[in-house]
Amino acid sequence: MESEELKNKIYAFVEAAKGKKKLKEKDIIKGVSAETGEGADVVKKAMREMIDVGKLMYSYGGGSSSVEIPSEEYLREKGMIQ
Amino acid sequence: MKKYETPLLDELEKGPWPSFVKEMKLAAATSEMANDELGQVEKSYRDKRGYWKHGGIVGVLGYGGGVIGRYSSLPEEFPGVAHFHTFRINQPSGMFYKTDRLREIMDLWDKYGSGLTNMHGSTGDMIMLGCRTEALEPLFAEVSSRGWDLGGSGSALRTPACCLGQSRCEWANIDTMDICNELTQSYQDYLHRPAWPYKFKFKVAGCAVDCVAAIARADCSIIGTWKGKIAVDQDAVKDYAKSGMDIKAEIVDMCPTGCMNYDGSALSIDDANCSRCMHCISKMTKALRPTGEKGASILIGAKAPIVVGSLLSWVVVPFIKMEPPYTEFKELVEKIWEWWDDNAKPRERIGELIEVKGMRSFLEGIGVEAQAQQVYEPRKDPFFFWKEEDLSK
Amino acid sequence: MSWLSAEEAKQKRQTDIGPPSYKEMLPPVIAKNYGKWKYHEVLTPGTMVHVAESGEKVYTVRVAGPRLLSTKSIRALMDIADKYCDGYIRWTTRNNIEFMTPKEENMALIKKAAEEIGFPVGGIGRGISNMVHTQGWIHCHSACTDASGIVKAMMDELFPYFNEKLLPAKTRLALACCVNMCGAVHCSDIAVVAIHRKVPEIDHDHVKNMCEIPTTISSCPTRAISPDPAKKSIKINPDKCMYCGNCFTVCPPINIHNPEQDGVAIVVGGKVGSLRKGPMFSKLAIPYIKNNPPRWPEVVEAVKNIVDTYAADARKFERVGEWIERIGWESFFKKTGIPFTFQHIDDFTFARDTFRTSAAFKW
Repeated sequence: MESEELKNKIYAFVEAAKGKKKLKEKDIIKGVSAETGEGADVVKKAMREMIDVGKLMYSYGGGSSSVEIPSEEYLREKGMIQ
Repeated sequence: MKKYETPLLDELEKGPWPSFVKEMKLAAATSEMANDELGQVEKSYRDKRGYWKHGGIVGVLGYGGGVIGRYSSLPEEFPGVAHFHTFRINQPSGMFYKTDRLREIMDLWDKYGSGLTNMHGSTGDMIMLGCRTEALEPLFAEVSSRGWDLGGSGSALRTPACCLGQSRCEWANIDTMDICNELTQSYQDYLHRPAWPYKFKFKVAGCAVDCVAAIARADCSIIGTWKGKIAVDQDAVKDYAKSGMDIKAEIVDMCPTGCMNYDGSALSIDDANCSRCMHCISKMTKALRPTGEKGASILIGAKAPIVVGSLLSWVVVPFIKMEPPYTEFKELVEKIWEWWDDNAKPRERIGELIEVKGMRSFLEGIGVEAQAQQVYEPRKDPFFFWKEEDLSK
Repeated sequence: MSWLSAEEAKQKRQTDIGPPSYKEMLPPVIAKNYGKWKYHEVLTPGTMVHVAESGEKVYTVRVAGPRLLSTKSIRALMDIADKYCDGYIRWTTRNNIEFMTPKEENMALIKKAAEEIGFPVGGIGRGISNMVHTQGWIHCHSACTDASGIVKAMMDELFPYFNEKLLPAKTRLALACCVNMCGAVHCSDIAVVAIHRKVPEIDHDHVKNMCEIPTTISSCPTRAISPDPAKKSIKINPDKCMYCGNCFTVCPPINIHNPEQDGVAIVVGGKVGSLRKGPMFSKLAIPYIKNNPPRWPEVVEAVKNIVDTYAADARKFERVGEWIERIGWESFFKKTGIPFTFQHIDDFTFARDTFRTSAAFKW
């Protein structure tokens, strides 16, 4: 699978959980891996690349860490949007 | 700058012990943030409650930890602490500092933050206390470009910590500072990017005195030990006796295994019965020292009481060599993480998981044999599992 | 000094480099004798000498720090280190500051310089060292007491045990400002831990929007929380709640703070070393003392009483927990005059191991 396509799948997976379930890295890796047939390492690498550029972000709440779609506030602070 | 009356906090400037209020006032003299912190804490003292909101989602790009969001619940009244985030900087192993290196951190913190710190936080990081969200990226760039990095937070590897070990202690059986540094450097990814069910802490102590409280505070407690005899310098024993030490009462009678004997001039040890508790060595440091093979005991599972009770770490590997590059230990700990990550619920520490799944499941999962050193005593009940492979043994 | 621009920051930042190596932070005498120390001697309650195989010596002066330090004080401490310690300084695991020097004559000069800026020398050997503690109202959303204030008041009172008077053994004090225990006080000789005493109040509208209901329900160790479908929220069974606050951690609109009822408990008898007896948990001595800022006199008095009773009654080298085990808890309560209550009898996970199954005890 093309890297862009995989990243879109990852984004869609995270978006679908928004407001319903806090996803840990592992949930995303397992879920997207099952959905796309890509290996866990490949999904992890793509997810990390998205986090590195602010497409996704680590979040923290309820005593544990998760991965989310960044808020506008976060993107503005990181200079991703004006 | 607003001037706060602080009659309650002023009471805590009195007395011989160093005053945190004095520190807050020192910082407040040149920082609006520290000044509003002083005002808010005075209000807390008046109302007997804190005024901080639950954490928030802040951090530096790409990392999932090291910054803990903190916002005042009274931002209009105390705008300087509207944002007051914690910025954790990973301490060098053993918490030694060359002053010019520490000064560069102080300069940066005065520039970007409140000027208040904790030296150090409970886990071991240097805690920079109070900065705004927009300070995080430039501060991180400045700090990291000078060779420093953030510590851990969230569901990740937490900043490893150690006692000062062989740098200044004759009791250290292992090079705690090197082990701590090596683990910190090897597992940077686990430290900065929370990938686990919950937090995981390493603490490295050079001996069973455990000055870093590894056994009570680390999911993985690495505690130095030895296998050989205790060497006795009989001349030094005589010196202790001469200087007034009651060797029978203070040393021999307090030995938990009764393995020592003192005939009024010479001290003898039945080494086979010694449990290496460190009592005699720590009291007669000139006369007694461990010899032979050195290494560590690996204990797993300690945590604070939330939520079904505190745990102390349990002996899992009674003895392991700890020499660079620590390959055997790293292979072990990677297996431990894998088993935990595969089996734990969210927010379940490894000690809790071992209780749920059973010690056998854990030991088999990581490939460690049952050994009598792992328990105080065998089970009392007659209910135990047999697997097919046990039946054929 | 202006801040880095976003662009400059992007250019400069490095990741995953870890802390600087400890090797560049070591004073020369330490680096030279690393791993080659032979023995040490405590000279005074705040100074000691370590002697290497080579015969070289390093003198250490330990001073108390408040955990909360300003950059200004850290600079002042570093000035002392520059003057007398070749430009090196160290912190201990208990928030003390250590100055090391190969020159014996520097000890007195360091002591004088540190005390002039308000940092007293002490904390080594058979006495009370600095207290390990948490953030409290200074910086934590979860705190149900302050940390620094109680510590300051306690250490002012116990100060002679820091810099001059000996106790039977080293005595480790700690404070946690809620039961999350970031300071891991659960294995201290004497520790103060802040507690709640009332069932939390639920802000149902916010629970609906902010919390995962299943996670909140499963966060409760006593299964006191159940769903409240009508309100799309949760409810708490007051008979089962033991106020641990774990639900508040996972779901902030469950407010457990209650300024009039929150306070502190005192636990005693823990230790982490394996010397003589294995490590021990601290156990409940006093279930509740109200919050009384700014100096918490009732807490200070209660701790002082325990320390004094221990100092008068324990044998040399006996830690608080070893002393209590020897005399028995019934004697501990008698000698300290602390009332024994229903709160002292465990009804949680470790209860079974604590009930007496022997007909032998003291009056």
